[in-house]
Amino acid sequence: MFQLNELQYDALRELFNLGVGRAARSLSLMVQDAVELSTPVVTLVKPADVATTLLGSEFRQLSLVMIDFTGPFDAQAILLFPERNALAIISHMLDPDMSPEELSEFEQEAMCEIGNIILNACISALADEFAVEFQGGLPMHYFSDTDSLPLLDLGGDRIVLLLQIHLTMRQERIQGHLIFLLSVSSLAILRECVDAYLTRVGVI
Amino acid sequence: MDREFGQQLIDHLQAGIILLDQEGRVLAWNAWMVRHSRLTFSEVVTRRLDEVFPEMQHTRLQDAIEQALRFRLSSMLAPGLNAAVLPLDHQPGDRRLARRMQPLIYVTPMRHAQYTCLIQIQDMTAMVRRERRLRAQSTQLIATTYRDALTGVGNRRRLDHDLAAIFGDAQNKQHSLALLMIDIDDFKAYNDCLGHPKGDECLILVATALQEGLRQRGDCVSRYGGEEFALPLPETDRDLACSIAERLRLLVEGLGLPHPASRVGQLITVSIGVSAMVPVGEQSPSDLIGQADQALYQAKDEGRNRCVYFGADPHAVPLCPHPLGPIAVSSSRR
Repeated sequence: MFQLNELQYDALRELFNLGVGRAARSLSLMVQDAVELSTPVVTLVKPADVATTLLGSEFRQLSLVMIDFTGPFDAQAILLFPERNALAIISHMLDPDMSPEELSEFEQEAMCEIGNIILNACISALADEFAVEFQGGLPMHYFSDTDSLPLLDLGGDRIVLLLQIHLTMRQERIQGHLIFLLSVSSLAILRECVDAYLTRVGVI
Repeated sequence: MDREFGQQLIDHLQAGIILLDQEGRVLAWNAWMVRHSRLTFSEVVTRRLDEVFPEMQHTRLQDAIEQALRFRLSSMLAPGLNAAVLPLDHQPGDRRLARRMQPLIYVTPMRHAQYTCLIQIQDMTAMVRRERRLRAQSTQLIATTYRDALTGVGNRRRLDHDLAAIFGDAQNKQHSLALLMIDIDDFKAYNDCLGHPKGDECLILVATALQEGLRQRGDCVSRYGGEEFALPLPETDRDLACSIAERLRLLVEGLGLPHPASRVGQLITVSIGVSAMVPVGEQSPSDLIGQADQALYQAKDEGRNRCVYFGADPHAVPLCPHPLGPIAVSSSRR
């Protein structure tokens, strides 16, 4: 299977950390309260293993926001939270007094926007640092359970860049995953971009 | 598609359409925008959108446009998170009333030499309003379904709900929770003697007193059935539960409601069964209820108007004699 070396992992962690930092600033500004996003843990897995990785955690019912990005490499970016946590995030952002049960119509739009902010921030950080351009579509929001994750239907020539992040807001800590679904050829280009970045910053 | 037809098309759309160039200057502004912003195309053309609407500076909308122009990334802005970000009218006269449209905004980059960013605006005001009204109604309905119609305290559903939540929490954090079962002494005799309307009145007074007595802690007393009330107490051990029980027992007695048919004394009194546990293994809320019930029976057996905790020695020697006869047993024995 396609691999990244330690240096490449470090670079990606650093780049996504930049993006996540931007997202945290935007979110904090929006809710006028401190939103913290942890440094992501980056791993590379097969699509079929995503479910195993997630099944091992508390995830059952999931809330997903997806955005398609095209550019030097194409990626389907997915932000994934357990549904219960997603509701907690939304109720905190919309109105701290609102109970999760009361959320309905607002929730999809708000979830979409939060996913939009986090995913765009990550992609724009990559675009900045790699000095490339991506075209990003509008976000879409779905609910799903781990058994019917749309990822699982995909063929074997795809690879998943999995980022685990924690979102902390008003004492609530929420675990989420950022998933970047790439084809093998896209991953090869991503790797080239990472190497070019490492050369530019003088590491290799 | 020719330019004029394109213009016609966007003018017929029931959504706001704005097209920007690479510098963020307005190139197109459809009829919907004219209607809702009260700015004509000639007033806005070639001006930057943040000049037209200075208040959108440092908002997420400005970020979104920047992202579309600079990174070619799309964004959506939900009304719930970006209330009334633009000075647009939902209906004529809104401006005078300082009201604004609640918009849902999509910002997308375009692949075109001139037109580089498309902004679509949908009016969600009616939906947001409807949502709010429905929420207010459902909040009220939820409150009603959890309230006992006669006494106004929680009902059985409330108790089941609260107890399950508190029990689960205690189980997770491995700390103690407690339950009080409170029963009015000789209530059947009270009803038989004074009639049901008086009985109802008595239930209301006792329930109100119990709830008022708990106001500081924020705990919620529920009617378990008939003349029996239940009080689940989060993060409470047996000693604390017993002292709360004793306080409530004295509070009810202190109401001074005459009870002509009581075997205890001349006033309305309550017996209280107390149970507390740190839930382990297979234990469930019904175990806690069972224990509190058993303690309540013991309190009744031992002469009523007293608090007894589950597992207390039956017929133990009371410590402090009570002015009105029977004695508060286990709760005061610490």
